[in-house]
Amino acid sequence: MGIGKKIKKNINLEPQLFGPYRRQELYDKINEGGTYLPKSILHEDLDRGFLDFIKNELPVVVDGKKVPVVDILITTQNWAQFTQTWNLNDLDKNVSLPIITTVRTPEVKYGSLPSLQYTIPNRRQLFYAMVPTWNDGIKSFDVYTIPQPVPVDIKYSIKIVCNRMRELNAFSKVVIEKFSSRQSYTVVKGHYIPIIMDDIQDESVTEIEKRKFYIQSYSFTLMGFLMDENEFKVSPAVARSINLYESEVPSRPNPKPKAIPQNIKNIVFDINYLPSQSSTTKVFEYSQNISLLSSENITSYEVYINNFLYGQNIFNQPDVVIQLNTNDILEIKIVQTNVSLNSNLSFKSNLI
Amino acid sequence: MPQKIVPITRLNKFFGAEDFSLDVGMGKEWLHGDMNFTLVLYRVDKTKTNNDDIYGEATQDSIKFHPPIEFKGLVQVSPPENKFLGNSKLDQMEPGNIRISVYQSHLDELGIEIEFGDYIGYYETEKRVRYYSVANDGRVVSDNKHTYAGYKPFYRTIVAVPVNQNEFRGL
Repeated sequence: MGIGKKIKKNINLEPQLFGPYRRQELYDKINEGGTYLPKSILHEDLDRGFLDFIKNELPVVVDGKKVPVVDILITTQNWAQFTQTWNLNDLDKNVSLPIITTVRTPEVKYGSLPSLQYTIPNRRQLFYAMVPTWNDGIKSFDVYTIPQPVPVDIKYSIKIVCNRMRELNAFSKVVIEKFSSRQSYTVVKGHYIPIIMDDIQDESVTEIEKRKFYIQSYSFTLMGFLMDENEFKVSPAVARSINLYESEVPSRPNPKPKAIPQNIKNIVFDINYLPSQSSTTKVFEYSQNISLLSSENITSYEVYINNFLYGQNIFNQPDVVIQLNTNDILEIKIVQTNVSLNSNLSFKSNLI
Repeated sequence: MPQKIVPITRLNKFFGAEDFSLDVGMGKEWLHGDMNFTLVLYRVDKTKTNNDDIYGEATQDSIKFHPPIEFKGLVQVSPPENKFLGNSKLDQMEPGNIRISVYQSHLDELGIEIEFGDYIGYYETEKRVRYYSVANDGRVVSDNKHTYAGYKPFYRTIVAVPVNQNEFRGL
């Protein structure tokens, strides 16, 4: 019987992070076991990363034996000394075959990593982290800034020297499978550094009257970047401080609490209008119900509460009461009967 | 069918088969008696050697050979060259080739034939032997150099190149 589609056949015991959580994980990895700043990445770190990549990611096994990898870069100086001590020498103290070596092109060119090319000029310092500090009992922060890393392209050639075609095949298989997507990555101090495969060349010695062996050279470009910790800067941020002042100015008394009126029922108040005045406003400190008692020299009126029209001539009807709450603004616009005389509205209020 | 034999009569006014035999005999006495350069021939057993079906390559220690045979010849070893191993920038002293001149009659007496790919061991010291692979078996001797004044060929020049230990390392 088949297994239902919703049943998980493989359970991932190490959950993978995505999005910002993955970025935070990478950030933590870069800063792991050190200060809040990333560690320097210079030429030798990139070279070490590439050698580790060859040793760990491109293992070649032929006839049950691992093809040895020279764990240093071949330079002008060290090979002669190295062969004296290495345990893979023949009777001439020459290296025994097969073997895999790495040659680095001495020149290092400005990098082609797209994310770092000519984006921020003049080695400008950029914010990296704000780190809390405790200085003389005052909590403060240090601001860590670093310049943009400089991209570099370093070219390497991995050469396999052997005298059997099957050894070539084994190495070719490992390399081509590893770089089936054109690039692979090595990790240098927590940073993923891309490596791109460029070319494969055959440099085999096939002359009849010479010792014959195969040499195949695989060219790679490591798209790294340089970060020099001497260029990192740590500067103090604004610190929290306590400032004390002495002054002769007497302290201002606290404001008195708002007095509660004694009479809360049947409070009468007037709203007066000068000749030709058509509008006036009043702010109410307490919640209350108001009703109109009388009007003088007014033909009609409009009542606005908090700038919203409440009604026109609404108090003409009997027993009309309006509730106003604290801080409500009452505005009454009137049309005067005789514009040369004063007008008046008299209200009765009950606090609630 | 009997092999047709044609007598060599050139140079017969002052040189003949008896002179040729005498001079070759004297030369062999000098080479074998006085010089006494001894080499060991490891003839590859092509039927028993366990080689690759596709590339014809044998793995280490899988080359089978006939019983080794000592033979004598005039040995010239080329000087080593200090050079890179191909283009790998691996600097090393590359041992030189060995050139062996051997009397054809000597090979006939031993009943051996040296062929391409056979291995030759040459003891440089009591404990140190270097192995070479035959790169030129000197089979073609139809030139004046290999004849005795144009009379008849009488020796072969064999060129062999050093081999790595992982290809062949003797017994």
